[in-house]
Amino acid sequence: MENQSCVNIQTEWDIVAARQLGRNVAKELGFGIVDQARITTAISELARNIFIYANKGRVRIEKIYDKGHAGLRIVAIDNGPGINDIRLAMEDGYSTSGGLGAGLPGVKRLMDEFDIVSSKGKGTEIVATKWIR
Amino acid sequence: MNIKIEVMEHDNLLEVKLAGEIDAYTAPKLRETLFPLSEQEQVNMVVDLTDVGYMDSTGLGVFVGVFKSIRSKDGELKLIGLSKRLIRLFEITGLAEIMDINSQNEGEEE
Amino acid sequence: MPFREVMEAKYRDILTKYIKEQSESTLYIGQKFSRKSIENQVTPEEIISLHKMILQEIYPDMPEYVVHSFDILLEIMLGYGFAYREHQSLRNQQKELRSEIEIAANVQQTLLETKIPSVEGLDIGAISVPARLMNGDYYNFVEDENDCISIAIADVIGKGIPAALCMSMIKYAMDSIPANRNEPSMLLENLNRVVEQNVDPSMFITMFYGMYDYARHVFSYASAGHEPGFYYDGKKREFSEIYAKGLMLGIDKKTKYRQYEKNIHPGDMIILLSDGVTECRTDEGFVEKETLLNYIRKYIHCSAQEIVNNIFKDLEKLQDFQLRDDFTLIIIKRRV
Repeated sequence: MENQSCVNIQTEWDIVAARQLGRNVAKELGFGIVDQARITTAISELARNIFIYANKGRVRIEKIYDKGHAGLRIVAIDNGPGINDIRLAMEDGYSTSGGLGAGLPGVKRLMDEFDIVSSKGKGTEIVATKWIR
Repeated sequence: MNIKIEVMEHDNLLEVKLAGEIDAYTAPKLRETLFPLSEQEQVNMVVDLTDVGYMDSTGLGVFVGVFKSIRSKDGELKLIGLSKRLIRLFEITGLAEIMDINSQNEGEEE
Repeated sequence: MPFREVMEAKYRDILTKYIKEQSESTLYIGQKFSRKSIENQVTPEEIISLHKMILQEIYPDMPEYVVHSFDILLEIMLGYGFAYREHQSLRNQQKELRSEIEIAANVQQTLLETKIPSVEGLDIGAISVPARLMNGDYYNFVEDENDCISIAIADVIGKGIPAALCMSMIKYAMDSIPANRNEPSMLLENLNRVVEQNVDPSMFITMFYGMYDYARHVFSYASAGHEPGFYYDGKKREFSEIYAKGLMLGIDKKTKYRQYEKNIHPGDMIILLSDGVTECRTDEGFVEKETLLNYIRKYIHCSAQEIVNNIFKDLEKLQDFQLRDDFTLIIIKRRV
């Protein structure tokens, strides 16, 4: 399989497709069951955010290698309204969708590395990585 | 620690009926409800406090804020149904002189 | 040995034991295991994965449907893991906030502290207790060179931290008003303009300001919407309300305040308070004004400080030791 593949997010079904892709790649890379579930959930959250707030965007799953370690990278991009206050969005307890504990802080906890670039009117790009231990 | 807020709009009049207590816990909810309403142009608002058993200074703060907001948009605010204790509160703080406090009490005295 | 390394062995042990015999003692060991895992940040999904793995080991012929059921359970429990971790994080934040508030409350105490003046012929007592950590009531005594003591008592509408921050601002405003402008009505007018300008539009302040000229024993005062205090006539042994009309500070910058004067005779008392005193509530309803005055009568022969301390204790007990609002009480007795 190539080292990266992409899913366009436009309908709720696309979220499922992104999850599936992520789980397959995670399995291929040799992640254990729990980590597979965590990665898939992270993808699910990010794809869902795109679907709800930006209407459309895409999720790219990459296999990455660094100093002998394998890892999985999620890149979620959209041209939506962007996040006005990133600090607020990364705070525990703050949720615009009424969910409990999920959101960006939740995704950050599921993965090993987390990076976000977003500003009002300029869309959002989130990169999250998990390494095989 | 509980408050019930009912808003009814008819003709040009905004009727707000309150029940329960207005204190530090419930005042924010009251403010959240009344403030957006107070920012409309030339609002005519009547707030009925007949069923308000207790109000402390935080409640006062909400009403003053709402009053100022309504006034700045050329509207009118009237408070009715105040118990003796509530009237006293408005009188001591001097608010009874600048706000329309009309106690239409139907024998509801403390 | 780190918990995670022994975790698997421990859980295998507990699971096998319990399947063999459903004893209460195994359940108890399970509970201890649970506490240990939580302490070590083991997530719900990890427990389920462990459970499934061990079960498959013990029962290699475990039906497919059981295996699948665990997989979906794991995914669902991930959500609970989210919530749990957020909860932990919020709890830690709350702990931090609380200690910050305690520090702030201590700083406030230090900054706003005021000494009770010691003046010949007068006995002054004062007490101020916050309902929460920070005090929204404020009182201040100032002695000047003209044989006058000024007394200010104020209450910021609203409670907690915002109110207390407001108080600090008032104290500094008061400290910087020059002595020749400290006539009660003038002071309130000046302060009103400062407050209107600087304070958040949702905050309001009630204040009573008085000046006691202890050469002539005349008490002049003005009030900005503050709870009226009481005057005790030593000869007639009667209480009357110290009535002074005025709008709260911060509402209208053009507000004017009326000044009143009262002659104070030996044996007379001036009682100033915040609404935390008059708004005392018990299960039966509000503590009436008469009750408060009766308490004062009860302790009338004590020193001013003893009177305020005792009244506080009595009213605190009446309210089941739960203050609803910041409580401030000041008593000035003219000695006989």
